[in-house]
Amino acid sequence: MFNALKTLPREARDTLFLLAVIAWIIAPQVNNLPLWCSAMAACILLWRAYLAVRSFALPSRWWLTGLLVLATGATYFTHRTLAGHEAGTTYIVVLLSLKTLEMRTQRDAFVIFFLGFFTLLSNFFVSQSLPIALAMLLGLLGLLTALVNSHMPVGRPPLLQAAKTAGWMALLGAPIMAVLFVLFPRIAPLWGVPGDTPGARSGLSASMQVGTIASLALDESVALRVRFNGAPPPSSDIYFRGPVLTTFDGREWRPLRSAGLPSQQLSAELEVQGPTVSYQVTLEPNNRPWIMVLDATASRPELSGYRATMTPDLQWIADHPITELVRYSAKSNTAFRHGPQGMAAGLQDYLNLPANYNPRTLQLARELRRDPRYAGATTETLVEAVMQRLRTGGYTYTLEPGVYGTHTADEFWFDRKTGFCEHIASSFVLLMRAMNIPARVVTGYQGGQMNTVDGFWTVRQSDAHAWAEVWMAGTGWVRVDPTSAVAPSRIGSLVRLEAPRNVIAQALARVNPQFTVQLRALWEAANNSWNQWVLNYSQSKQLDLLRNLGFESPSWEDLTYLLIALVVAASLVGAAWTLWERHRQDPWLRLLHGATARLRRAGLALPDSAPPRQIATLLQDRTDNDGPDLSAIGHWLLRMEAWRYAPHSHAQQLATLQREFRSLPWPQRIP
Amino acid sequence: MLTALPHPVWHPLQHFRARMNQWFVNRIAPRDTVTLTQRNVYILPTAPGFMLGATLLVLLVASINYQLNLGYVLTFLLTGSAVVGMQVCHGTLRGITMHLIAPDAHFAGANVTIGVNLLSDRRSVRYGIGLAVLGTQHWSWTDVPAQGSAKVQVAFQPQRRGLHRVPALTAETRFPLGTFRVWTVWRPAAQVLVYPAPEQHPPPLPPGEPRAGGQATVQRQSTGEFDGIRPYRRGDPLKLVVWKKTAKTDELVSRDAQQVQRFELWLDLAHTGLSATAGTSGGPALEQALSRLCAWVLLADKQGLHYGLRLAGQEIAPDSGEAHKKNCLQALALAHV
Repeated sequence: MFNALKTLPREARDTLFLLAVIAWIIAPQVNNLPLWCSAMAACILLWRAYLAVRSFALPSRWWLTGLLVLATGATYFTHRTLAGHEAGTTYIVVLLSLKTLEMRTQRDAFVIFFLGFFTLLSNFFVSQSLPIALAMLLGLLGLLTALVNSHMPVGRPPLLQAAKTAGWMALLGAPIMAVLFVLFPRIAPLWGVPGDTPGARSGLSASMQVGTIASLALDESVALRVRFNGAPPPSSDIYFRGPVLTTFDGREWRPLRSAGLPSQQLSAELEVQGPTVSYQVTLEPNNRPWIMVLDATASRPELSGYRATMTPDLQWIADHPITELVRYSAKSNTAFRHGPQGMAAGLQDYLNLPANYNPRTLQLARELRRDPRYAGATTETLVEAVMQRLRTGGYTYTLEPGVYGTHTADEFWFDRKTGFCEHIASSFVLLMRAMNIPARVVTGYQGGQMNTVDGFWTVRQSDAHAWAEVWMAGTGWVRVDPTSAVAPSRIGSLVRLEAPRNVIAQALARVNPQFTVQLRALWEAANNSWNQWVLNYSQSKQLDLLRNLGFESPSWEDLTYLLIALVVAASLVGAAWTLWERHRQDPWLRLLHGATARLRRAGLALPDSAPPRQIATLLQDRTDNDGPDLSAIGHWLLRMEAWRYAPHSHAQQLATLQREFRSLPWPQRIP
Repeated sequence: MLTALPHPVWHPLQHFRARMNQWFVNRIAPRDTVTLTQRNVYILPTAPGFMLGATLLVLLVASINYQLNLGYVLTFLLTGSAVVGMQVCHGTLRGITMHLIAPDAHFAGANVTIGVNLLSDRRSVRYGIGLAVLGTQHWSWTDVPAQGSAKVQVAFQPQRRGLHRVPALTAETRFPLGTFRVWTVWRPAAQVLVYPAPEQHPPPLPPGEPRAGGQATVQRQSTGEFDGIRPYRRGDPLKLVVWKKTAKTDELVSRDAQQVQRFELWLDLAHTGLSATAGTSGGPALEQALSRLCAWVLLADKQGLHYGLRLAGQEIAPDSGEAHKKNCLQALALAHV
């Protein structure tokens, strides 16, 4: 294979290399391209490679025009537009692959390179993660290598040579990149493109249907990272509050859609107690306006670019969906009271049950109510009774509960007795409501994991959780987590149920269970720094930097000035270097000139180009004609000559000559 | 300028540019060895360079509009690489020493090859350096090895005889990214002698003249001794043809008896048959006559004859051999009537 590559003519080899680079930069987004586009690009690249290997002629312009029209039409029909990043990406990928069929002149080659740079960028619409960044760095180096290689017209230079040059250029260009990246003012989008928000990414959903969270539970991607100022609260208190679900139609839980009057709706009535936990959250984009904060947060978390407000059910909401990585500080209290103390009209919404669903659960509620043990019992006692039932009734926690039928609560309580948090919470709330206790489902994230490498608390999508809140007279809403009764290890411990792992991961875990944990911690830390320093580098961080540099009240104009000042400074350094290089001399010549200058100052007439032997002869003449003894200088000059014309001269010997130059008895005056 | 032919259609802009180039070239001091420094190496972006600039701008706008921090990274890394590429491009030519290898004399209309030695004392290879005669597009490309030298040959076609200065040369590189063109213009001091173009089908050599002071009236006396050979002339008896030599050279050659002793071959401007109009005026007829003389000199030399050359106001005594041929050709090249 490698030998076959070596024997290829240079043109074929270069073409194959360029095609491989193009395939590499298209590959990461294949999943996000329409199927026809990926297939077309793959076919064209393979076709082009075949033509290159066989040295066949390129297809005629009619072919190209036909394919171009086809691709343009297909792009339009897929996206209904040619504008916007999705259509643009599709179109650029097609154009890039088509252009490889038209690589006749140098100009065509350049068009390919520039389309390649656009394709590199289009990958970032999909993901800006560390692996993609590394892959695209390789892609960029590949493109630069091909570009450098195309400017080596002589012979068949090895690609490695071009790669080396490209690598050096990128390496030396990196400081320029760093300065521009840090100082280039981050400005708001110049114009918006309609319908152009990046595609939905996984996260909590606005409603809860049995099974929706199942897929999330298997998703190990990071939802948010938290750095606690001080010790983190106990894991069992770490509940990040997401949407609160109140309305149930038998299949799906949704946020409250009240039939009552707006004035009757409950207000938050939050009272926080106990110690305050302060922390910074780095929230991955969830494409929803939800700001994840710990239960309960009374003060507004500060997000740049967003306005946060608290809903009556204690969730913090931004004024528009969070589509980029955001960072904010928040202060929360894990001890709190909220909700109305006494019976209120608004609580009726939390008692509604869909008709004709879960008859056996309703029956169970009636039986519990009728049970003499609970006659006149408080809500608290009833909750405890149900929790007891969950603990001892043979209920188990599983990530693979299977598909539930119509009466989800009935199936959970009586038939399957197994499920994960969402089944448990839903069934629990329904049973509560059947017992005439106001209750609701709260979704969010519970727990997380401390990354031992950088000290950040990592919350993953698999930490998504659903729990219940029950209203108790005199207390308000109280959090009840029925899942903790079924699977105590699920709550309050770092050991979580993990998704079934693939063979390699299993093998690794068997060899050294700590190893995978360590490896993942390292990876998470790297990823987190990436997010903190690259992806989340915003205008506010730029201004912070300026403030640290001593600017009183920095603005983006200051950034521009700083940038211009740096450019000017760099130009001055360049000019100084040029001057220095112009005057730079061979060290031997400089030494000889030094000697000539000293002798001239002493009154010896010497031509500019006098070689050492000639000067030595002159000095000898003076010594012989009763002048001062200059033989030491004469010998030194002869040694200078010997060094210059020796077959192997060493720098050390020159250094010796330089030392001797300084200690020679230079005459003040030569008559 | 030798190669600058007048444009068929007078175009003010092109005329101006040609004048500018001429002025620019003329102010360079002619030298046979030149070391390229900051002072004589020029740099300008190429069309692809401007294209890259536009690409960078679009990438930047896309990064701003979609708030892609990684897009900024890509754009700025590419910018940084391009800036470094500019330096590398300039450095590829800067510091090279170019040394002209003086070209041999040539005939007008034939290609004159100019050899140039490129020396580099840098520790890395300099890639993709092209040389061409200024104003032409016939590039010869080479790489100069680290601390070594490379030889490049460029050709030009002198149209007229005479002593010409080697045309101005230009060295160029676009390595590594092709976004910048770095070039230099060099006027070598060396001169090249251009002989007249030999006539394609010249008439036979003129008959010999009686040696001065000899018996002018004595015609060929056949003594049976053959002293040399000469080209076949119509009327020569077949037995005089040297068949062995003819078989080798494809030309009919006859034995020449004693002629050399009494007759001298003089190649005379007046005997070319074109000199009637050539006279004193010079012009195309003279050039044609010189072409014929040139062809005769070559023919006579090939046959190893003794021949002399007589031009207006100049005479080269009969002789033979390479040095004599060169003398004659040089006289022809520099002849002015």
